[in-house]
Formats: sequence, structure tokens, C-alpha cells
Amino acid sequence: MAWLRNAGLGGITGSPLAFALCCALLVALLGIPLLHNGYYENLFRGIFMFSAMALGWNVIGGYTGYVSFGNVVYFGLGAYASAFLAEHGVENVWLAIPLALLVAAAFAVVLGLPILRLRGHYFGIATLGIALAVEEIVANLDALGGGSGVTLRQAEWFPQYYYAMWLVCAASLLATWLIARSKFGYALVAIRENEDAAAVLGVNPTRYKIAAWAISGMMAAAAGAVFAFANGFIDPPTAFAVDDNVFPIVMAIFGGVGTAAGPLVGAFLLTAVNETLWSHFPQIHTLFFGAVIVLVVLFLPRGLLYLRNLRGGWRGFVRSLAAYRV
Amino acid sequence: MRDESDGAPFLRIQGVGVRFGGLQALDDVSFDVPRSAVVGLIGPNGSGKTTLMNVISGVIKPTRGRVEFRGRSIGDVPLHAVCRLGIARTFQIVKPFANLTVRENVAVGSMYGRDRRSTGEAFERAGELLEIVGLARVAERPASDLTIPDRKRLEVAKALALDPDVLLLDEVMAGLNATEVDEALALLREINARGVTLMVVEHLMKAIMSISTHVVVLAEGKKIAEGAPTDVVASPAVIEAYLGTRYVQRRRALGEIEREREEAEAMQPPGAH
Amino acid sequence: MELLLQILVNGLLAGGILAVVALGFSLVWGIMNIINLAHGAFLMLGAYLSYFLFTNWHVDPFLSVPLVFVVLFAFGYLVQRFVINFVVRAPILTTFLLTFGLSLLLVNAALLVFHGDERAVTPAYIGANFSLGPVTVPWVKFWTLLVALAITGVMQLWLTRSKTGRAIRATSMDIGAAQLAGVRVAHLYAIVFGLGAGLAGAAGVLVGLTQSLNPSMGDPYIIKAFVVCVLGGLGSVEGALVGGLVYGILEALGSQFIGTGLQDAVALCVLLVVLIVRPRGILGKATA
Repeated sequence: MAWLRNAGLGGITGSPLAFALCCALLVALLGIPLLHNGYYENLFRGIFMFSAMALGWNVIGGYTGYVSFGNVVYFGLGAYASAFLAEHGVENVWLAIPLALLVAAAFAVVLGLPILRLRGHYFGIATLGIALAVEEIVANLDALGGGSGVTLRQAEWFPQYYYAMWLVCAASLLATWLIARSKFGYALVAIRENEDAAAVLGVNPTRYKIAAWAISGMMAAAAGAVFAFANGFIDPPTAFAVDDNVFPIVMAIFGGVGTAAGPLVGAFLLTAVNETLWSHFPQIHTLFFGAVIVLVVLFLPRGLLYLRNLRGGWRGFVRSLAAYRV
Repeated sequence: MRDESDGAPFLRIQGVGVRFGGLQALDDVSFDVPRSAVVGLIGPNGSGKTTLMNVISGVIKPTRGRVEFRGRSIGDVPLHAVCRLGIARTFQIVKPFANLTVRENVAVGSMYGRDRRSTGEAFERAGELLEIVGLARVAERPASDLTIPDRKRLEVAKALALDPDVLLLDEVMAGLNATEVDEALALLREINARGVTLMVVEHLMKAIMSISTHVVVLAEGKKIAEGAPTDVVASPAVIEAYLGTRYVQRRRALGEIEREREEAEAMQPPGAH
Repeated sequence: MELLLQILVNGLLAGGILAVVALGFSLVWGIMNIINLAHGAFLMLGAYLSYFLFTNWHVDPFLSVPLVFVVLFAFGYLVQRFVINFVVRAPILTTFLLTFGLSLLLVNAALLVFHGDERAVTPAYIGANFSLGPVTVPWVKFWTLLVALAITGVMQLWLTRSKTGRAIRATSMDIGAAQLAGVRVAHLYAIVFGLGAGLAGAAGVLVGLTQSLNPSMGDPYIIKAFVVCVLGGLGSVEGALVGGLVYGILEALGSQFIGTGLQDAVALCVLLVVLIVRPRGILGKATA
């Protein structure tokens, strides 16, 4: 087994096969713009966006065990980083991404110090509160368009936004994989499993938690930066949409929390579900999505990629469902 | 093994007091621990043993007094840096990293402890340590699968991964049957033989007697006795702390205390004081 | 000075409703360790129910409070028993998501049935005020405060005196011991969750008298309920009451001096300050 581990597979990265398939899939999807089909470009660009957000959440929520319920704040900050550049005449998504990364990292470091001292429920709701508060603050800043939002002029060659989002997604996947096969990944997981024991073993919890939150934020912020240009317009409700907090989490759970490829798998699958629902039941697709969330949580609390690890086959699975009952 | 500065006592507990709200958990506890000793820390329930362990391992800061390791106070060292000084401990309530394998559990200490190894090297070192504690056969199983005795071994292995000079063991033998206790004692003797100073909190008198070079007795937060195992265990003050004054008086009258002293002497390993 | 007094009174009046909202939230959180993100949806359902009772049968909203409470209680009981119970002891992520999904379901179902248009509950006395010295007090808000106080009083009595109430408090302290003592925990949990829903619904009726109704009207109240619980101290009726009143005043002050659009920012600041300075809240007991 040692050679597997040395190759960076297994361990806490999750299924190596799934990871390889995801890489192959991503490479294949590079060709989509060549089809000149707007629907597919939009669809997959959206999947890449949600994948990045799901992968980002997975770093702080899945690997470090700090369930953030407000990571959309980073997405919004990234989107507004683009808006800021656009308002000052720089309409270049490739410059917006680094700015977004910087803003996200700074935000995580400054707010991480007080917020990451909280645990469990408190951390979750505090992050939700942060997202709501930042949305309000931005809506009150006329310099950033206030409540009416900012229009971003889009470049001539539109497919570059597809490739930019692809890059964000691929980079997020790669970063997660690298983290999971490194010492850093083990520090995060140790914090998740037992933070006090991790400290006794030499892991500095504050430093690693902030780093994890910063990384998760940077992934979401980069996605937001690209989204702002691709969408051509953002305003506070679009940038800080409450649902964007939860969909990435559900995708990560669906695909496999705490694995490298899981969030991406989940993003693909759930977007497929969402698209199908939208085309057949346009009125009530959000209703159905709520139902999907409920079912996913009840029956797949740790995601598809964990199903194969359950011992005892299907009986073990059914028995595991009863584990949380009273 | 690392060199120490000469002259300074190896591990000195000096006037340590800990107050939790209205409760004085520890009160002016002082003693020295010489290098390579095995110190048995005993006392009735609630006497402050685990609190003292927590102070020495840096988990809580004392309200009074200090702990000096190799001449350096550990008071202002943050918890995650304590292991770099060379102090490691096991916990009474064993909670391993449930979703990691046994090997990964041990490897974390090797990655972030004194050695700071890379993942590959840490896994190798973990393998060696698992051999020492006897867990090599379950190295790739998730830690949540382990039996209680095996979990205790894992605790010890994780602490050893930090390459400590001082190892604090908090009731590591609780819940073990007689055979398992003997195996645990053998393991501890081997660790001590490799140069690690041990401090052991146990309720099992037989275990303490057979392994300790010194014994420190706490009762109600104060140190009431210190010294060679045989002397301490037979001392009336200690017996009184455990069993009460009337019991002591009755037994003294029956001459039983003397008899126990002789039995205790017989249990000591040859060559020990 | 008069402005300040007016603000204080406004804050107290609003705080009463917040106390009722927070009380239901606090019970479910304190006893079952579940943060119910569907709490706002229950509030909304209560408001719409009172709207229908008022529009179709001319039932005065204040009189409909007990009925709404009972209906929402039953609904909450069923939801817990047949949905939430499956994950009651699961990690927080699971319950967070489950209640969020539930909220999505309920809010979107409401959206389907009622559409997004705003409705209002408008009994005849809606605009009337009376004066208390320099301060103007709207009758509706005054009555809502009284009803809110009454509800908290009744809950406190019930929790401390009744057999079920005491069983609930025992379970919250030690579920294993309670089970050994013969408490049917699943049933009890369902009662607690039902209470939470019922209280949210009752609060919804009161809220419906102070603002117009729409399917997402309950959402802002979740974060407020959370802050009130943290502020006042989790798991006690007095805590919810004190926290609600104090928060109501803080919110009124914030609205006046910082602006109404920044309510959530105010909530967050209060939350952060409390968590850093005194995590157990004003009346909370310190945990070991």
C-alpha cells in the first residue's frame, strides 16, 4: 500500500479513480467552445463555477471540519473585485482573478482570527451573518454601485470567460488534490477529527484554520470574479445569493465530503438534476431542489464516494442510516 | 536523545497551584523529576492528578507556580509548541482520529512534532512505532475499529511519534485485564529503557509499585508524600488519604501495615530502590 | 431626548416579538441541539394562516394566536417525528442542511400557492395610536408586546411546573439518564420541535400585524433569533425575553443612527461582540 500512498493516491484524497476521471472529463470539456453552442457553454461554465465553490467549501468544511454557512461572501467579494476593476476602466478578467485572490486571502486573515475561534453551530451562523452583513454593506456603498449594481463591459472574444472559469475549476481541483496528499492536508483532517489532540501533536490550529479558510475563499472568489464578467452585471443579491451558500455544500456532500474529487462529481451530477428539473418543471424546480436536498441529507449523509467504503454492503448502509436516530 | 544543559534540574514542578472558580484543584505542589526516572503519580479520585498532568503538558496554565523543563519555564509556551520542547502525553479518555487509519494517526505526530518529517518519512516512522507498541497488524485499519486496549496502545504510539524526552501517561492501564496490564508494563519499561522519562498516573497499585522509581502522592490538591515506592505506599498518611483515619487505626492495631510493607518490598524489581 | 425615548419604546415593542421568535428557536437549539433553519418558514406559515382566518372568517388576529399555535405545533410535531428524527443526533452539517432544504420546500410551496404578491392583515384598529407622555405608541404594537409577554410567561410556567415540561428539561441535561428514567425521547423531541414551530407561528401572527406578508418574510428572523439567543443566553425563557428586548432596542438605535438597510450588519456586530466578550450571554449559565 505504501506505493499508492507515495503516489499521492488513497489516504485522504479519496478515490484515485474518481480523481483521474475528473481530470479526463475536464480535459475533454476544453473543446466545448469549439461547438459554438451558447447553451452548452453556459451550462458547463456554470458547472465549473459551482465546482470551484464546492471544492472551496470542501477545504474548510469537509477537510477541516469547520462548516461554513456563508462562503458566498467570498464569491461576492470576488465578483465585486471585478466590478471595481471594471469601474476603473480595467475590463480584464485575467487581472481580476489575482485581485480577487488577494481580497479573499486578506478577508480570511482579518476575520478569521476572531471567527475561527468559534466552533460548531456558532461558527456556522457567524459565517452566515458575515455574508448577510457584507451584502448589506456593499449595497450601501455607492462607490460600488450600491443597490443598483454594476454593469461590466464584456470582451469581444466571449469564450475566454469559459476558459477562465475552466481554469479556476481545474486549479481548485488540483489545489485540493495537492493539499490532500501533503502534510497540510493531514493537519486539516487532524483538526477536524480532534482539534485539541491535534494541538498536542504539534499542529497550530489557528494558523491552519485560517489558511484553510483563506484557500476556500480564494477558490470561491476567483469563481466570482469570472462570473461577474461572464454575466455582464452584478448587484448585491446576485453576488451574495443566499442559495449559493448551500448549493455548493449539497454538491460536496452528494459527491463525497472530504475527498478531492467529490465536490466536482457532486457539482456535475446535481447540475444535471437541476437542469432536468428546470426543463420539465420550470415553475417548481426550486421546490424540487429543496426536496433533493432533504433526500440527499437523509440518505447520503456522507456522499456517493463514501458508499463504496461502507462495510456490510447494503445492509450496512441501511443500518448506518439509523445511527443518528433517537 | 538530546543533550541537556547541565546544572538545571531536568523537570521541576515548583509551587504549582490551580484554581477553578471556587475550587482549589492543586495547592503548592512541588517536586523534581530526574532524568530517566519513572514517577508514579497516585492519589484518591479528585486529588488533582489529571490537573497536574494538564499543567505539566501545557494544556492548562497554573494560577500559581511554574513548571521548568531543562531550566526553561513552559508557562508561556502555546499548547501546540509544547511537544517541540520534548514533552508528550496520553489522555485518559482516548479519542483517536476516528476517520484516519492507525498508521495515519501516528504519522500526524511525526509530521508536526519534533521531527517534522515529510509524509513519506512520517508513514515509515509510524510503521516502526506501531511495531514497538504491537499494532503493526492493524496499521491500515481505521482507528475507529480498534478495541479499547489497542486504542491505548495507539495513544502511546502517537505520543512516541513526538520523540519525547518526557512522556506523561494518564491512566493508560484503566480497563485492561491482567495480561494486558503486564504487556503494558513491559512496553513502558522498554520505552523507559530507551531513555524516555515517564510520569505515570495509575490506580493500579501493583502497576505503580512494579514500575516506579519514585512515587508522588496527591490528596485534595496537595502533595502529601514523595519518595521510594515502598516507603510511600506504606506510609500512614497515604493510607489515611485513601481509606480514612479509622481504617488506619484499626489496621495498625492488627499489625497489618507492617506486613504490607514487606509485601510491597518484595514486589519491587531487583536493583530498584 | 424625546427621540431617544421614542426609539427605546419602539425597540421594546419590537423586542417582544423577537423574544417569542427566539424562544422557539432557543428551545429547539438548547434541548435538541438543532439549529432550525426552517424556523423562519414556520413563522411565515403562521402569518399566512392568520391572514386567511382574518380575510375569510374575520377572525381577529390576536384571537387567532392560540389556534395558529396549535396548528403549527401539530405540523412541527409531525415534521420532527417523521423527518428530522432521522438525523437528530447527526453532526451539525446534516441538520443544518436538512432544515435548510425543508425551508426551501416550505417557502417555495408558499410561493407557488400565494405567489410573490404582498398581502396585509388589516384589522380596523391598525393605525390607531395612544400617547404615553412624549412618546407615541401604536395600539397594535402595544398589544403585540403584551401578547408576547403572556406567551413567554405561559411557557415558563409550563416548562417548570408541568410533568412534560420537567421531562423536557431533564432530557436536555442528560439524554441517557432520561431514557433510563422512562422518558420517551422521540416523542419528547417531537413535542419540543412542535413547540418551536408553534411559537414561530404565533410570532408570525404578531409580525403579520406590523408588516406585509410575503413567502420570504421569515428569513431575516433566523439570524435575529440566533443573535437573541446568544445575547440572552441559550436554553432559558428569561434569556430569550431579555435578549429579545435588548436586541429590539439595539436594532431601533441602529436603525436610527446607522440606517435601516444595515440591520444584518448590526446583528453581526452584536453577535461578534457578545461571542468575544461574554459568550454565555446576559443570563446564560457558564459551561464548564
